Amino acid sequence: MKSPVCVFFILLLCLTACAAERQRAMPEMTATQDEAVGEECVAIFPRGRWQFIHAIDFSLGDGSGSTVIGLTSLDGDGFGCALLTIEGFTLFEAVCRGDGAVEVRRAVSPFDKPGFAEGLMRDVRMIFLAPATDNVRYGWLAGHVPVCRFTGADGLITDIMPAVAGCWRINTFTPALAGNRSLIGRSCRKIDDIPIPAYLELKDSGQADYTLKLTLLTAENLNR
Amino acid sequence: MKLFFLLIVLSLLAPAPSRAGEAALQTAVRLQSVQADFVQEKHLKILARPLISTGAFVFQAPQSLRWEYQSPLASVLLMHNGKVKKYIEQDGEFREDKGMQPGSMQVVLAEIANWLGGRFTGNEMFNVSFPEKQTVLLTPREQGVAAFISSIQLKLADQQGLLDEVTIFEGPESYTRLTFSNRILNQEMPVALFIDR
Repeated sequence: MKSPVCVFFILLLCLTACAAERQRAMPEMTATQDEAVGEECVAIFPRGRWQFIHAIDFSLGDGSGSTVIGLTSLDGDGFGCALLTIEGFTLFEAVCRGDGAVEVRRAVSPFDKPGFAEGLMRDVRMIFLAPATDNVRYGWLAGHVPVCRFTGADGLITDIMPAVAGCWRINTFTPALAGNRSLIGRSCRKIDDIPIPAYLELKDSGQADYTLKLTLLTAENLNR
Repeated sequence: MKLFFLLIVLSLLAPAPSRAGEAALQTAVRLQSVQADFVQEKHLKILARPLISTGAFVFQAPQSLRWEYQSPLASVLLMHNGKVKKYIEQDGEFREDKGMQPGSMQVVLAEIANWLGGRFTGNEMFNVSFPEKQTVLLTPREQGVAAFISSIQLKLADQQGLLDEVTIFEGPESYTRLTFSNRILNQEMPVALFIDR
């Protein structure tokens, strides 16, 4: 039996570790003027009309979760997305137009909760769209990892690393430079020169505290 | 999930077509078992191309079911003796999906029992009509159901008691169509089919 002091110490260590994970600091970047890095960053995003289908395994901070099918349709300007049960019933369907306006066409409980649509749109944007800002710097992280650092008008910072372990990664940071979201692509394969990950893991360590694991089922380039 | 099971019920037990719709409702076919392959098309306004899923199911009266998708995402749903389990393939392995809500499934299992007993017209969830020969149209009575689906259309097969096609309309430009093939009726099914993944 551990003493209360020992238990407290272990808890303290755990909490410190959790806090460190939640407040992952933004890494230092060695800047470069090499615009080729920037081109590599933009090249990870599909252009024009595409349709993606993923199996999405989601888990919440309390350990609960399930699997749904995610549909994403890009039209080069805006996008549409939907969540279905494996049996095909629509749980959520929405479109986000080029001007940012969101139209929720269907939202079944619990996917009708306030903030869910906005959160999902944010996830879809992070996965499929380049940050909507021209404020970008290029450089290298430790280990000579190329990075593009985008700073939005709201102060949010997005690091895109187009070449990590054969695929790509994206991290975002608050204006206070604390990491709040990470997206790891794995097992990329090129479809029409776009590196499409077979697996994606999106972690939001903000208030929502959830993890999405996406397995690519199909990716179709509709421009052809 | 509740509606999914209702769909299964619909695919298993179709009222026999007749000149007088009401008469047809009184002669619901009783099946001991049925198995079939299916192709499922999901149409949504946002999709340029429908999501196509393929699979197969086995049903054994009174309440045993195996509903299996082979693509694009392999999964198996099993119902037997009041227990419901669902397995989904992840990273090459089937894992039980604990995110299901068994409460709603129990309700639908009760519905299945009603339909097997030929109590078709007594269904509190849907109004039944016959707009064409070989076609049955179900429209929700309850607002709760109507929130999920606007109607269900059944295309009856030539063989009494079976369906060629089920289309579930969720709303404008949003529907799911199931087309059945390779149907086998009233064969004895091993219990293991409904227990083991």
